[in-house]
Amino acid sequence: MRFLLRRAMHTLLILVGASLVSFSLVNLAPGDFFDQMKVNPRISQGTLASLRSQYGLDRPLPVRYLQWVRSVINGQWGFSFAYNSPAGPILWSRSGKTLLLTGVATLLAWSLALPLGGWAGARPGSSIDWLTRGTVAVLLATPELVLALLLLLFAVRTGYFPAGGLTSSEYVPSGLWDQTKDITRHVFLPSICLAAGLLPLLLTHIRTAVSEAFESPYIEAARGHGIPFRRLLLRHVLPLAANPLISLFGLSLGMMISSSLLIEAVFSWPGLGQLMLEAIQQRDFYLVVDTAVLSTAFLIVGNLIADVLLYASDPRIRTE
Amino acid sequence: MRSRAEIAVCLPILLGPFSLIAGTSELPLTAQPSSSVCTSISSTEEFLSVKGEIGQCGGRLIISKRSEPKTLNPLTAIDNISRDVIGLMTADLIHVNRDSQQPEAALAKSWTVSPDGRKYILRLRHGLRFSDGYPFDADDVVFTFQSYLDERTHAPQRDLLMISGKPIAVKKIDAYSVSFTLAQPYAAAERLFDSIAILPRHLLQRLYEAGQLMNIWGLNTPPTQIAGLGPFRLKEYTPGQRIIFERNPYYWKSDAKRQRLPYLDGIAAVFVTNNDAEALRFESGETDVISRLSVANFAVLERDQQRRKFRLYDLGPGLEYSFLFFNLNDLSSDILPSLKEKQSWFRTVAFRQAVSSAIDRESIIRLVYRGRAYPLSVQVTPGNKLWMNRSIPPPVRSLPRARELLRQAHFSWGSGGSLHDAQGQRVQFSILVNTENVQRVQIATLIQQDLKELGMGVSLVSLESHTFLHHVFTSYEYETAIMTLVDPDPDPNTEINVLSSKGGTHVWHLKSNNTPSWQDEIDLLMQKQSITLNLGERKRIFDRVQDLLWQNMPAVFLISPDILVGAKNRVGNFHPVILGDYTLWNVEQLFIHKEPGAERGS
Amino acid sequence: MTLGKVPWLAMSVLAICHLSVLLAGFFAPGSFEVQNRNLAFAPPTRIHFVDAQGRFHLRPFVYRWVLRPGSFAEYEENQQIGYPLHFFVPGAEYKVLGIFNSRQHLFGTGEETRIFLLGTDAYGRDLFSRLLYGGMISLFTGLLAATASALLGLVLGGLAGYYGHWVDEVTMRIAEIFLAMPWLYLLLAVRALLPLHVDPQATFFLLIGVLGVIGWARPARLVRGIVLTAKEREYVLAARSFGAPDLYLLRTHILPFASGAALNQMALYIPQYILAEVTLSFFGLGVSEPIPSWGNMLNDLQHYLIWGSYWWLFSPAIVLVAVLLAYYRLFSFFKVNSFTF
Repeated sequence: MRFLLRRAMHTLLILVGASLVSFSLVNLAPGDFFDQMKVNPRISQGTLASLRSQYGLDRPLPVRYLQWVRSVINGQWGFSFAYNSPAGPILWSRSGKTLLLTGVATLLAWSLALPLGGWAGARPGSSIDWLTRGTVAVLLATPELVLALLLLLFAVRTGYFPAGGLTSSEYVPSGLWDQTKDITRHVFLPSICLAAGLLPLLLTHIRTAVSEAFESPYIEAARGHGIPFRRLLLRHVLPLAANPLISLFGLSLGMMISSSLLIEAVFSWPGLGQLMLEAIQQRDFYLVVDTAVLSTAFLIVGNLIADVLLYASDPRIRTE
Repeated sequence: MRSRAEIAVCLPILLGPFSLIAGTSELPLTAQPSSSVCTSISSTEEFLSVKGEIGQCGGRLIISKRSEPKTLNPLTAIDNISRDVIGLMTADLIHVNRDSQQPEAALAKSWTVSPDGRKYILRLRHGLRFSDGYPFDADDVVFTFQSYLDERTHAPQRDLLMISGKPIAVKKIDAYSVSFTLAQPYAAAERLFDSIAILPRHLLQRLYEAGQLMNIWGLNTPPTQIAGLGPFRLKEYTPGQRIIFERNPYYWKSDAKRQRLPYLDGIAAVFVTNNDAEALRFESGETDVISRLSVANFAVLERDQQRRKFRLYDLGPGLEYSFLFFNLNDLSSDILPSLKEKQSWFRTVAFRQAVSSAIDRESIIRLVYRGRAYPLSVQVTPGNKLWMNRSIPPPVRSLPRARELLRQAHFSWGSGGSLHDAQGQRVQFSILVNTENVQRVQIATLIQQDLKELGMGVSLVSLESHTFLHHVFTSYEYETAIMTLVDPDPDPNTEINVLSSKGGTHVWHLKSNNTPSWQDEIDLLMQKQSITLNLGERKRIFDRVQDLLWQNMPAVFLISPDILVGAKNRVGNFHPVILGDYTLWNVEQLFIHKEPGAERGS
Repeated sequence: MTLGKVPWLAMSVLAICHLSVLLAGFFAPGSFEVQNRNLAFAPPTRIHFVDAQGRFHLRPFVYRWVLRPGSFAEYEENQQIGYPLHFFVPGAEYKVLGIFNSRQHLFGTGEETRIFLLGTDAYGRDLFSRLLYGGMISLFTGLLAATASALLGLVLGGLAGYYGHWVDEVTMRIAEIFLAMPWLYLLLAVRALLPLHVDPQATFFLLIGVLGVIGWARPARLVRGIVLTAKEREYVLAARSFGAPDLYLLRTHILPFASGAALNQMALYIPQYILAEVTLSFFGLGVSEPIPSWGNMLNDLQHYLIWGSYWWLFSPAIVLVAVLLAYYRLFSFFKVNSFTF
């Protein structure tokens, strides 16, 4: 319980830190949302100045920060200039979609990486090991962006998959089943891309962790006792390799969120990443800060999950 | 921030009881016409009958937008995408026909002008209804102009409706006529009415009184609380994905067979992140129309036309112009190292002329636009057929002339061919471009090489667009830059902001203490043309402005790209133009051919 | 543990790449910035031994590309005049390693460049020469920045893991903030703090600095995890109970474990950093035209609809993939063997 409480405090601390950093950095970046209106010859400078003061952009930074904190507590999360509405509702609908995509991708990546990497680590030099290393090398050498664009082109030229988006541009298909089918078709390519980006890291680390575990003296001993290979792998090696893998799991959650930024943009996936990119491009001040803090929050939750699991699985950490 | 938070809390409270009122009032909610069947018009409404191919009713059009609309509020919308989308749902009193570029009767069936050109009387059509079925009359018109002119609203068009500092006075004469009085005669005043969307007083009066009009009609507003006089009305908005419109059953235009328009049952606009993705959606057949194609994508899609059953159109140059400009702002302190010295070159007319004649516009057009662009001498493009001054010669590249000009301005060449000014300082400067726009980066790369041949050392600084705008408009920290502007309308009045020294988009010289005499003359001429009612006289004045621009070259105008669009073959009445959003200006007349085997959306 | 086979192939690929990139001026037949405006998107020049009349020549020669009239970028060979290829020819002047001037080129057709081994880009510039010059920035940015990240991560992660308590807390919280920050716009702010033009050399060090600092958190966390486990191992505990000093313990028992992870991470970073340069060019932090880098050469490929048209524009991507594969091979070898030293 004390452990959880302490972790919660940390989380809060990091979020405050991230929000402070975001706030001052966005402020350093030149220009604000209203700069783009200057190109419109129909808007006078006076109108712009009054807009700025109306939205409080002319107030000192600390004041704005405190106001923002207050509105986060209210659940409004500041104000989006571009959408002319409180940022909160915008954020929630987008986060859901990002979680859907990253969830599917994480599942895909781990269900591929665990058996492949585990086997490769257990039997270095085997054909599976070669396959694993080959996959890692190829995926490493293929930039995610290129992979995403290739898949997209493939989708368009063959017509097997939709060219991005979350649902069809036609009207909503009726019925839950049709909707699920539609979304599944759309989620397929972007999640493959995301998973492919994560796979090299997962495969290398799982392989390393498992092969290191195999080197440890008690596995040697167990092997000497004639315990069958599969039982050895599942009952003895995996628990030993679990520690780094659990940290890796938390890490992978966070990585997913940050790499989904790019993939979402390519596939027009209406998630948090695309929202952030848009907000950054338009200097939608509070929305940038919100999306930054929110993605930090997702990452920390990932780590929290990893820590709790680690805490539960490894008594050595508990003693600290 | 505080005021924002309060507003956001107030809004639902204000709207809450209001929707109840709207719902319970005895509206003559007639049975809604079912889709796919054309309805003929009633005799109580004064319809506007439009020419064009008689279409088939039904079907849905799918288009793409490069980002989401930011708002559905006609009063505050600024970005083009919001304005395009709002244009589907609203109508204006007098409309500039995007094809003929002339003002035409819209909600006003006719108008008269007083001999001094200051008073306009507009007669409205009878029996029209908003998209929620509520009748439209002069009170809505007066209310609309009140709203646009209200300072609390911060409507961007407010400045447009202030003629020499005084608001246009709007008075109701009777239920179907309204008078507009201008402080001063104003040329082409009919054009002012274009894109002033008529608002439903019955829905918005309360909010107006509360000073809340800038917060109405966000994307989350329920469709029942939005009403307009446009061909479509809001049906559904899905954040980050699409916005769907359905036919406005009360629309006031008809075809020659007295069928009520629009033909289409609805329009869906999907949000796609960039130009390439938009082209991809179009290629895959997911969208029916593409509004703006890059040249490269045009070339790729062109090969696919037959197989994929769509057609691409090159409409020729629009009202868009790219130009290179020098930082001529009067700056008190040296914000960049040796900017003062460089500005002394930039302020020399011969220097700017030399740069212009060294630039190889033909190469820009050939390499960057694959021949689909037009070289410019001044900012008026060949797309602007009425106002272009044809006596100005087309720009010709001539290095000898450029050298001669520089020599006369006391520049000289050192060893290795580098150019030096009279003080012996090497001529070196940077060109600022924004990275998002590939074409402009390419133009700058070509110009860099062109000017190198004159011995100028040119470096490229590419920044993302907000930083770019900040440097140009706010901090003035740049030496030269390349930018593109698009005129919303061919009329010279829209150019006042760019050309006169007090204008907000007079980008090359925003901060001015003293102006050269030719600039003073331009200021005067622009002012004069805006109050000259005689068209021939106005044209002469604006020709003189263009002459002055060409002689003194405050900025080096480069090229105007062609407008490239496309549509599926099954879209009927598709007739793209070089104005506005190019493809949907006659959206009420667009229809879907029901060929055998073609999907009928339902 | 088996000692992996020494990856001679990978090592020679890397050696060749780095060497030819270092001596780009010598290997490149032309300049990286001269625009041949009549030769935009020209395909790779064909090298002939047999001329149009069917005569065989011992010395290979090339024909000039001529734009087919009226087309945008379709070329045919002008078979009237052949240009023989020579080795060690004088050509455009360049600097060797930034010190001496030279005019010697490995091969070429004389003063004017008429050979485009990998075709030309949108401005008619020789892609092969640009590829060589571009590698200077890309290869060394990736290498140095990844080293900086890994070193920083090793030191900070090692300290955090070993000392624990508040050192660990503070470092890891900062690391978490760093990892979670979308550094895309962090870079926007960095651009704002810089002067308007940054010369290529300064850009190069800037890239290394920015990437190095951004990337420290991930290796640090991995290293910390490993140190945390390592210091619980029996022999470390034993050494500590004998009163071994901290520094000794870190150096002999813990860092060898951790450096594997750091190297491993570095292997993953080099490709990422070479690609990150593309993004950085977009934000105005990369080298700007006309100086080439693989990053800004790859930027042209963002317009994926034209991918089918000019296949030779992919050559930077192909070289990049080869280099990345070689790096990967090399580091997996190091990783395997770091435990046996």
